[in-house]
Amino acid sequence: MVEWLLPYYKDIGGLPVVVQIALVFILLAICFTLLAYFSILRGRYRGYVRAKRQNRLNPIIDGLIVEHIVMNEALNKAKAAEHESVAMHFQLPELEPKWARQLLIDRIIDFRKNIRGTVGEALRTLYLDLELDRDTQRKLKSGSWNKKVQALNEYVSMGVPVADVTLLPLTNSRNRELRSAARHAYIKLSRNEPFKFFDVVSDNLLMWDQVELFRIITTTEKIVIPNFARWITYSTNKSVVSFCLKLVVHFNQTAAIPAIIKLLGTKDHYLRADAISALGKLEVNEVEHDLVEMYNNQPLNCQIEILKALGRLKGKAHLDFVKKEFLHASDFEVRKNAARAIVNMYPSGSPVVEELLVSATEENQLILRHCMNPLIKH
Amino acid sequence: MDERDIWDWTGVFFESTIFIYGLVLLLVYALLAILSFYAIRKYTQSASLSDQHHDLLASPLAPGITVLAPAYNEGLTIIQNVRSLMTLNYPEFEVIIVNDGSADDTLEKLVEEFDLIKVDFAYNIRIITQPVRGLYKSTNPAYSKLLIIDKVNGKSKADAVNAGINAAAYDYFVCTDVDCILHTDTLLELIKPVLQEPKKRMIAVGATLRLANSCEFDEGVMVRMRPPQQWLPRFQEVEYIRSFVLGKMGWSRINSVPNVSGGLGLFDKEIAIRAGGYDSKSFGEDMELMFRMCRFSKDNGINYAIRYIPKTLCWTEGPASIKIFKRQRTRWAKGLAQLMYAHFSMFLRPRYGRMGMVVLPYNFFFELLAPIIEAVGVVFYVLMAIFGVINWPFALLLLVFVYTYAIMITTLAIVWDQLAFRYYRTWREVGQLCIMPFFEFLLYHPMIVVFSLVGYWDFLTGKKGAWGNMQRQGFGGVKK
Repeated sequence: MVEWLLPYYKDIGGLPVVVQIALVFILLAICFTLLAYFSILRGRYRGYVRAKRQNRLNPIIDGLIVEHIVMNEALNKAKAAEHESVAMHFQLPELEPKWARQLLIDRIIDFRKNIRGTVGEALRTLYLDLELDRDTQRKLKSGSWNKKVQALNEYVSMGVPVADVTLLPLTNSRNRELRSAARHAYIKLSRNEPFKFFDVVSDNLLMWDQVELFRIITTTEKIVIPNFARWITYSTNKSVVSFCLKLVVHFNQTAAIPAIIKLLGTKDHYLRADAISALGKLEVNEVEHDLVEMYNNQPLNCQIEILKALGRLKGKAHLDFVKKEFLHASDFEVRKNAARAIVNMYPSGSPVVEELLVSATEENQLILRHCMNPLIKH
Repeated sequence: MDERDIWDWTGVFFESTIFIYGLVLLLVYALLAILSFYAIRKYTQSASLSDQHHDLLASPLAPGITVLAPAYNEGLTIIQNVRSLMTLNYPEFEVIIVNDGSADDTLEKLVEEFDLIKVDFAYNIRIITQPVRGLYKSTNPAYSKLLIIDKVNGKSKADAVNAGINAAAYDYFVCTDVDCILHTDTLLELIKPVLQEPKKRMIAVGATLRLANSCEFDEGVMVRMRPPQQWLPRFQEVEYIRSFVLGKMGWSRINSVPNVSGGLGLFDKEIAIRAGGYDSKSFGEDMELMFRMCRFSKDNGINYAIRYIPKTLCWTEGPASIKIFKRQRTRWAKGLAQLMYAHFSMFLRPRYGRMGMVVLPYNFFFELLAPIIEAVGVVFYVLMAIFGVINWPFALLLLVFVYTYAIMITTLAIVWDQLAFRYYRTWREVGQLCIMPFFEFLLYHPMIVVFSLVGYWDFLTGKKGAWGNMQRQGFGGVKK
């Protein structure tokens, strides 16, 4: 075949178009396949080298940290000069390359995650004494978003403050990961007002952002928790309001209750449902009547939240209303939540429940027995 | 025009059409390779930056997830499989096992092992299924997440899963097979795209599946990944890598995922129910549900998204004999034909967005028609050879072109997978995978074409097929 094609080399244009295209694709395919094999080899070789380096250096780093910091009882009473002498033990030639310094940062962070108190502080001091923060600083100035995120995570882990002026612009970055890391860093590291970015956040707080922020806010020590009513009342960002409602419930901020009650009039029914849920969880008994009053004009999600709230409030004044919903509502979920509210108000064995177990329809009796069964959670 | 001219003209038309068809298909694969590269890179960069699972694992804000696994005559392995599902890492989940009228002792074993008692359960029939005989909860608090549904056999996985959806407590459900082994972080990984989606409603999320055939498992947990030692499963492993890592990741990048695999997928319960749940008469019920969920979303103005993640979260035992493999692939082909027939009204209709303009046309031309066109091509080739009108050098050159291109695409899929995750421990194992593309075209692909044609024939003739028993060997203890 090749011999037959040889005359065409002088005049590729003489070949049919189909064959010309095929030749180009064959050439490309062979090149890409070879490149692919080379990439696999290179990737695996680099992984092998990385693993080998880690296997060699990590025990050395761990040994030094354990010997000079974790097991060093003198550090408790030590002064600055003592800390500097600790840093000297880490100034080894094998820890000088850039990749080795990164390994050192990662190990220090790992130790600091698990150990707090004096040892945690000593690890932070070591990080600063070895000027590893300069490496982090370089990453923060890098053009690549993932380097910036890595730097922010390192600063947060080591508790090294970063200027608000550096962090605030990043809290509205277009890159989701960078934006999220900057918000965490801001809450953790800002010396002024850690929740200021709630005022400037322009986009929706994703559920993922809320999960991460919730963890940061609820686990950070020495953080002044503000009254979240401020954002519930004034923020135009619905996701911020919804998130603040969750924080209010978590911190049991009764001072925010008037602001939440005002939210019952909001046009957004998702937000209204969140507000009803928060009031139920905060056990605000005075809204019971309002909730029952507004019930008939609400969409399904709000009606279900109202029934849940009434169950949490355990207010027996509206038992007839809940019973009516349980017996006559057409929606299965409404009946189920009404039954659960009744069971919450009246423990099993009470006359009300006993009566319903006899008088209700077969399906409703089943719903009631479902809600009374401690083995069934939902 | 004389008879000879007509034949010449027909031949030229056929050749040109097939060439253009082939070229478009190859360009689509090239595009998918590029798109999937960016999608995987984004995923790995994001995943490497922080310990995101830790946040979610401890969060009271994590949405609840129901894990649904239908079981039919799984008495041999059911206990270990359920225990494996119960070890998933997630703060709020339940496991629903649907005993689909097993004829063996599946239910008895479950009742005995997990201290189950029949409970009065308010079962809301939102999707019609075969009757439910009873629901069971454990009296042991350690198994409080477990719910067992015992129902009359519905002769399909779809019917069993629908019963599970009816009983599901949470807004999202993960559908899997009870004999699949899931990664312990499966739920954390699958819910992440839902929580990270800024604007659209995430109706389904899928993840990569692999073959479990030569992997090692300990108490239902994967401890060592290996490519299958037998050739047929290893071909399937390579096919899975190409399909999930390159294909579905590429489609995911442009929100045109055609199917979330029945082996593992997370779904929005409300949309799934309102779309009618799984079709118990379909042979490709997973893809059928996906099409219906998309259709429902478009009809109701819901701006939906479907995503795939490149990480392997599920291992399933692939057919190791040609007989079982044939049964599986004919069923898949029949399901595809059924699906196209049922949803052809969306074909090239702008109202259905990418589903109508991209997903359906692609699957029609390059999935459904491909085996037919290949078979016709082979017949045409043979006829031309008999009549002596083949230009052999050119014909062989075109064959080399298709062969080298197919190798390149599959090799790229293996590279993407290798660059993102170092699943295989040794060079030898990677090498075993890398040689498969050279033989796939010659040994494996012709089988797929033939089995697909058999499936289409079964569909056209209305041949009734039953759910075939995969005759699995299970993952008991450490398997080497």
